Amino acid sequence: MGGTESISAAHASQDDLYREVSEEFGASLARLAGAYEADREKRRDLIQDIHLQLWRSLQGYDARCSLRTWVYRVAHHVAASHIIRERRIFSGLVSLEELEMLPDKASGSPAAERRLDLHRLSTLIQRLKPLDRQVIVSYLEEMDAVSIGEITGLSPASVAMRIHRIKRILAQWFQGGGNDAK
Amino acid sequence: MPNEQRADIPKTIWLNQPTEVNVTPQLIRRRSVELRGRTRRRLLGTLAGPAAAAFFYVFGTTQLAPLQEALQLLFAFALLWSLAGLYFLHKGMWSAEMPGDVALTAGLGLCLREMERQRDLLRRALLWSLGPTVLGLGAFIAALAMAGTRDRGMFPNGLPFLILVFLWLAGYLVLRLRQQRELQREIDELHEIEKENRGLTPRP
Repeated sequence: MGGTESISAAHASQDDLYREVSEEFGASLARLAGAYEADREKRRDLIQDIHLQLWRSLQGYDARCSLRTWVYRVAHHVAASHIIRERRIFSGLVSLEELEMLPDKASGSPAAERRLDLHRLSTLIQRLKPLDRQVIVSYLEEMDAVSIGEITGLSPASVAMRIHRIKRILAQWFQGGGNDAK
Repeated sequence: MPNEQRADIPKTIWLNQPTEVNVTPQLIRRRSVELRGRTRRRLLGTLAGPAAAAFFYVFGTTQLAPLQEALQLLFAFALLWSLAGLYFLHKGMWSAEMPGDVALTAGLGLCLREMERQRDLLRRALLWSLGPTVLGLGAFIAALAMAGTRDRGMFPNGLPFLILVFLWLAGYLVLRLRQQRELQREIDELHEIEKENRGLTPRP
């Protein structure tokens, strides 16, 4: 009897916690899914998968890390697994280092004059390998280096270096002014 | 424009994008059922290897009766091999369920784990699914060839089809090996990052 009650209580708290998470992080999780999947239908499925795995995982949430870190770790894991499964060959994906080497598509072309738009940003992110994608999404979600390190497992120095690169790449791609962004 | 402000533009674009957030508990339950169905279908897909081996076994022993003694052992081995493969493939696929400690492990470790899992799954599929299929098919073709030398029936006529099957198998093998190499490269790269992270090989 007592056991059943405690199981019900656990489920209730799991549901409550999920509702809280869904309200607080729902929009960022949808944005995160957009960073991993360009196709609208597949993205919807991915969002649902993230929520499902999140709901399941919350049963074991014990506050060993912050709820935000927990949520993003699960979400990135589900999304990264999705792209690893969907595109088993990574030859089309690049690292931040390789992205820096690519010619700046905006500068010197009419595209440089165009308005900055979400499509370009999403396309840029979707070209990145999973780990760099985690860093750039976390950066765009306005997380600090410590939080990004907690989520990705990268050292503070590595996070700082990647953020520096991200800023430079974003400046190049969006303003055509990469060289003076150093 | 100062660099900091310029860097904030993508952030503003990103944070202000329209999002669809309408995930309800009912939807999650439905998704859970769908996912279980999908896993079941994938597991059923692993039956293809044993089914192909069994088909070649039954067809070879009934249609090519005079040869059954010579090749029966080979057919039987292919069938047993594919049945053993079911266990290993199922084991690999069930571990596709999200591990319980996922939220306690950071992204780098999880990416590594997932890639290694995919690489192992590819290896298993080659060894336990493609292997017995090729053996069953090879034994079957050997049976046809041996029968063909006697009555010149099925073998010469079916040769173009068999060549196509072999080409398909060779293409499948090449593709899978390429995927495996790509995954291994990614895994090595992540290991390097992990080492850098621990300060074992400082970046020059």
